[in-house]
Amino acid sequence: MDKHLPPNTIMISPVTRIEGHAKITIMLDDASQVKDAQFHVNEFRGFEKFCEGRYFTEMPAITPRICGICPVSHSVASAKACEMIMGITVPYTGNLLRRMIHLGQHISSHALSFFHLSSPDFILGWDSDPVKRNILGVAEKFPDLARRGIRLRKFGQELSERVTGKKIHIMGIVPGGMSFPLTAENRQALLDWVPEAIETTQMGIDLIKKYHQEHHQEVSTFANFPSMYLGTVGPQGEMELYDGKLRFIEADGTIAADQVDPKFYLDYIAERVIPWSYLKYPYYKPHGYERGFYRVGPLARLNVASKMKTPIAQKEFEQFKAIGQGQPVHGTFYFHYARLIELMQAVEECKTILEDSQVTQSKTQVTGRHNYWEGIGCSEAPRGTLFHHYKTDASGKLVNINLLIATGQNNPAMNRSVLEVAKQYIKGKDIKEGVLNRVEAAIRCYDPCLSCSTHAIGQMPLLIEVRDHQGGLLNAIQRG
Amino acid sequence: MPKISVKIDDKDLEVEVGTTVLDVCRANDIDIPTMCHLKGLVDVGACRLCLVEVEGTSKLLPSCTTKVQANQVIHTQTDKLKKYRRMITELFFAERNHVCSVCIANGNCELQDLGYKVGMENVRFPYLFQNCEVDSSHSKFVMDHNRCIMCTRCVRVCSDVEGAHNWGIMNRGYQVRIIADFNVPWGDSTTCTYCGKCVDVCPTGALWNKDATQGSMQKYPQAVSDLVEKREMKS
Ligand code: SF4
Ligand code: SF4
Ligand code: FES
Repeated sequence: MDKHLPPNTIMISPVTRIEGHAKITIMLDDASQVKDAQFHVNEFRGFEKFCEGRYFTEMPAITPRICGICPVSHSVASAKACEMIMGITVPYTGNLLRRMIHLGQHISSHALSFFHLSSPDFILGWDSDPVKRNILGVAEKFPDLARRGIRLRKFGQELSERVTGKKIHIMGIVPGGMSFPLTAENRQALLDWVPEAIETTQMGIDLIKKYHQEHHQEVSTFANFPSMYLGTVGPQGEMELYDGKLRFIEADGTIAADQVDPKFYLDYIAERVIPWSYLKYPYYKPHGYERGFYRVGPLARLNVASKMKTPIAQKEFEQFKAIGQGQPVHGTFYFHYARLIELMQAVEECKTILEDSQVTQSKTQVTGRHNYWEGIGCSEAPRGTLFHHYKTDASGKLVNINLLIATGQNNPAMNRSVLEVAKQYIKGKDIKEGVLNRVEAAIRCYDPCLSCSTHAIGQMPLLIEVRDHQGGLLNAIQRG
Repeated sequence: MPKISVKIDDKDLEVEVGTTVLDVCRANDIDIPTMCHLKGLVDVGACRLCLVEVEGTSKLLPSCTTKVQANQVIHTQTDKLKKYRRMITELFFAERNHVCSVCIANGNCELQDLGYKVGMENVRFPYLFQNCEVDSSHSKFVMDHNRCIMCTRCVRVCSDVEGAHNWGIMNRGYQVRIIADFNVPWGDSTTCTYCGKCVDVCPTGALWNKDATQGSMQKYPQAVSDLVEKREMKS
């Protein structure tokens, strides 16, 4: 308990095992019942501001630094925005390689999220010793599984390393394509790794399905609430992780908008700045703030998609869809399952790419110059749809940058999930570690990367404000 | 040419009269860091990295502009010199804004290499965080003042090798800036010939090609040195 907080406030901080830092405040009413919950984001990086004045083609190298786990998505969205400014089209092979590297990042990020960060909860139990409830604890009990999880993550990294020679902040994704080709030798090495990657992903899927069976009640009710969803789909409504058109669906599953070119995102998404978080609150514009609340990420992508692109993933997808019985799957816990199905499609799709006869061709890039003043690029980051929007002056210098990031879009939903869980699990002030962990787990379902989503600068003081459900200030806590 | 004897770092050397200390050292595998020096351009002694100790002189002398004298005893690797070289390097970084991880020259930068060479692990001086301009008005090149270290190689190559006199210098102290013509945007210069020599000799990410990206931006200062050498051979 924080001594600065009023007696009827419970504070959980920091949320362990998510990238970045966060605080959750749960407010109790006079009867010690949960009244409201807020997930505070207090990290702050200001990329949009300090990129102003840079030449636009530098962005694909700058923006990957926003985030250590989804650098490729930033690079891709950024390169696409630059290509719109230049008015150029990426050559076939360049696009293949970019797609593969992007999928590779999904693989390593999802493997990290599931095997390292989330599996301890399922395998070791929610209420197990918190000191051991991590990947090391898993490795102790199930060494093969832990080792495979680590190798799967490595496979994802390898997909970019084998092309660019660098694992994390990749160089190589450039406006106009890729600055490196793939050698025949590297292609073979990656292909050889595919069967193991499929096997491990399948193990993850089996694990989560077993957990679903054994904990049916908990899983199906865990932070289960309706919302709209946004994801990227191909021309036939197939799930897309790299390039495609936007699809919004209503909470009952009907399509609200389909095949929307990402460059018109501002016609569909509006953002609201709220006083107690650095994250902006985006919503589906045609429905307004109250009704337009939507989610992005694996659960959203599977909910919006009509089908998957690859056979094994398709089989799982059908089982996933059955959970919803014709409706979207709203249970926040199903994020994990969705993430693994995506992971399967990503691995299978990499195989298809590697088998493409043109993947090792040397023409991977075209060049261009500053031709238009504005560019918008979009990609499906592991955590959801990502937009980069640049405006330049006549000489190509950036005058305005808008980065709409997945965790930002999920922020309203994260709050909602915390509230749902808190209502279900916290009764009164007597709180046990395991219960607190469930509240944190609701957040972890979204796998938020807070550093990259808190990018709006200068809108509020560096304090965390604790407010009651009517918005009145209860207390203010120093960051740190 | 008549020869004279000098002693550098305990090596007894016979060298031609009129040679600079730096040239003697380079010819004899004695490593001295430099930044403003580029073979083929007139030396100006701007960066002070190449300072050496000469016995009998209390001042440290820039080796690029100091000619050897008969019977001099010169030291190039003393602790004092190493300390100054590291300090000078740190001051380069503190003066403007160098964020290597996102810089176009990352991996292909003489300043970055220098940082490694002198063992710079951190910068002990407060950063000035100057608000410097990025000039992208030229159709082919960009000038980012944030990464300029005022070595003036661009100024010299433009006037002495290309003969265009586009680049000049304005102001003093930390406000000193490289300017195009009489301080116009580079794209408005009436003297620039679009030859790109300044980009090739610039040791940092200050001057770069618009179609380059991080990792692909290679500089070729040697091309200018070779060009000058060939011209001298002809004449
Ligand atoms: S110019 Fe060199 S030292 Fe400066 S930021 Fe760029 S790479 Fe780093
Ligand atoms: S622009 Fe480059 S070459 Fe010119 S003075 Fe600055 S650092 Fe030196
Ligand atoms: S190289 Fe001699 S002073 Fe710069």
